[in-house]
Amino acid sequence: MAAPPVIEFRDVHKSFGALEVIRGISTTIERGSVVVVCGPSGSGKSTLIRMVNRLETPTRGEILVDGVSSTCARGEALRQLRTGVGFVFQQFNLYPHMTARQNVTLALRKVLGKTRAEADAVADEVLDQVGLADKAGSLPGQLSGGQQQRVAIARALATRPDLLLFDEPTSALDPEMIGEVLTVIRQLTHHGITLVVVTHEMGFARTVADRILFLDQGRIEEDAHPDAFFSAARSPRARQFLSQILSPLHTTGD
Amino acid sequence: MNLPIDWSGVLTGPPLHWLLSGLAVTLAISLAASGIATVVAVLLSALRLSPLPPVRLATLGLISLIRNTPLLIQLLVWYFVGFGLLPQGLKAWMTGDHPWSVLPGQVSLFAPEFAASAWGVGLFIGVFLSEELQAGLNAVAPGQREAAASQGLGGWHTLTAILLPQALRNAYQPVVGQYLNLMKLTSVTCSIGLAEITYQARQIESFNSHAFEAFAAATVLYLAIGFILERLLLARRKA
Amino acid sequence: MGLDFTVILKNWDYFLWGRTFQGETGGLLLTVLMALAAGCLSLALGIGLALASWLGPRPLRAVLTFLADLVRSVPLVLVIFWIYFLVPALFKTKVPGALSVILALAWFSSGAVLHATLAGLEALPRGHREAGIASGLTDGQVFTAILLPQAARNLVPSYVALFASMIKDTSLAFILNVPELTMTASQVNTRAQIYPAEIFLFTAAVYFVLCQGLSWAAHGLAVRLQPGQML
Repeated sequence: MAAPPVIEFRDVHKSFGALEVIRGISTTIERGSVVVVCGPSGSGKSTLIRMVNRLETPTRGEILVDGVSSTCARGEALRQLRTGVGFVFQQFNLYPHMTARQNVTLALRKVLGKTRAEADAVADEVLDQVGLADKAGSLPGQLSGGQQQRVAIARALATRPDLLLFDEPTSALDPEMIGEVLTVIRQLTHHGITLVVVTHEMGFARTVADRILFLDQGRIEEDAHPDAFFSAARSPRARQFLSQILSPLHTTGD
Repeated sequence: MNLPIDWSGVLTGPPLHWLLSGLAVTLAISLAASGIATVVAVLLSALRLSPLPPVRLATLGLISLIRNTPLLIQLLVWYFVGFGLLPQGLKAWMTGDHPWSVLPGQVSLFAPEFAASAWGVGLFIGVFLSEELQAGLNAVAPGQREAAASQGLGGWHTLTAILLPQALRNAYQPVVGQYLNLMKLTSVTCSIGLAEITYQARQIESFNSHAFEAFAAATVLYLAIGFILERLLLARRKA
Repeated sequence: MGLDFTVILKNWDYFLWGRTFQGETGGLLLTVLMALAAGCLSLALGIGLALASWLGPRPLRAVLTFLADLVRSVPLVLVIFWIYFLVPALFKTKVPGALSVILALAWFSSGAVLHATLAGLEALPRGHREAGIASGLTDGQVFTAILLPQAARNLVPSYVALFASMIKDTSLAFILNVPELTMTASQVNTRAQIYPAEIFLFTAAVYFVLCQGLSWAAHGLAVRLQPGQML
């Protein structure tokens, strides 16, 4: 029997009060794929991936991770599901009172029950993977934004998830640090982990992604390979978005 | 306005022993009540975060009850009523003979006065401590809770490993203030017969009428303990 | 739990006003009267200190704040005893227990009133003071005619909360055998012997209703007194 897709969205809807943010999304994400989710602000792209690990709960519909519903999971089952899904936040959200190593080992020890020695070994390995082996003993306050985000990625990698979700990972960074984070994410594509990245970085999307999901007003407006998306997007909204985001002087009016 | 001050009335003989015994009891009760207050504060913080509305409401109700009644009444309730509520076996053990539990001056740790005082003051300050912790928790960035959740950390681990350490850093001064408050409030326990500093000062006054000297000595003791405690607790604050 | 509250019903009037009609004020009535007296005194003292801090030289505020905090570093019980034992020794007059408690409470709380009042004044826009000075008023006139009434908006809720604390602290008069509510409850308990739970739980309930009520009133006032409204 074929393995289930890593993520399956089944007619997912999400409203915040009267505001409907996701209006019926159904699609699947295949194992090992690198998917970029983009769209204008308010399109629901952050909300969409936050529902995958239940940081938000769909108002209607269901999301399955590896064949198991994250929408209905609770308690211990939900916690175990979450250790299989790595999440990287726009604001990093590192624990400020813990060193980089402690940030990485916390979930390994408390949720996966590893010993301190085992956890430290994993931490050193993933911190080395993101190029910060020498900063293992630093506090987040002593690190630059780019370094903090790389520690956050290491923290997400530590539990060896099959799926990594990125919620605008470089939007809170100063321009000169965006590159180091995108490099780390790019390197992850060689490991066979499924990546879903919400981002505005179109250069990254064009070179790394094998699928682009363009969201507008809570629906998937365009779902294509980057080559097709960038050169021949079909929906008018997508074309408009592309011209705005790729315009060097941001002069394309609405 | 001639006030004959005679320090030997408090610094020699039985009065001196009483004062020192009172000091030992004040320190012991402060320690015991502090332990209880800390546990109560952490438990209340956890209960206030419960996903079940009835649990949250009951917790807030309890907090409101403790805050809006005088400490003295609470001590009287625990003293007269509390002891009787304990299970039979525990009561029997507490009233038994335990030489290690007797402080200088024949004060037993398991005497009703001590137990009621430790529990009463501990619970009282525990509630105020949880209020300070709550303020500190409210100042912790919401992303912290989300990061913990996204990693699969459960509620208890999230609270103890992530939220409370940060809350404590945010609210360190007020939290220290509550522990200092606790030490001063142990003076109220003299009213249910606990032989701490204030009680002993009164004892001396009725023994040889040296009111000024007795209460001056008591004041000095409280100020000294407070000063030392404050230095100790505030010196530990990380830069 | 098998509680029998008839002892409360039999003594309800004693709880409420003790032996007032036999010449000795007591019970809840005495509690409220003591709290009011101490409250007024501490308000007068605290606002006076705030006035002095505000108008006087900078160092004075530091000195007064230090002194106020010094009083609070000593347990309130001890302050009560100081006044009860020391004032007669110094002035050769006996001080009734209730008065000792009132004076001690007033002195102890004046520090809190000082802090609250200064905080309320600092929260005012600087322009108020400058407008007053510009039109020729003295600092003292600015304080009483302009600043204090404006700050009252912020301060009334704080003062009401302090009054609720005062009600609770009057229970310490028990230590001097003053017949306020707590002492009254204890007397009933000594007479009746077998109903401590009912008696003290009832007493706790009375304090609770009073103090929670005041706390809600303070909160309601804070919400209602928005900037721009007349007090």
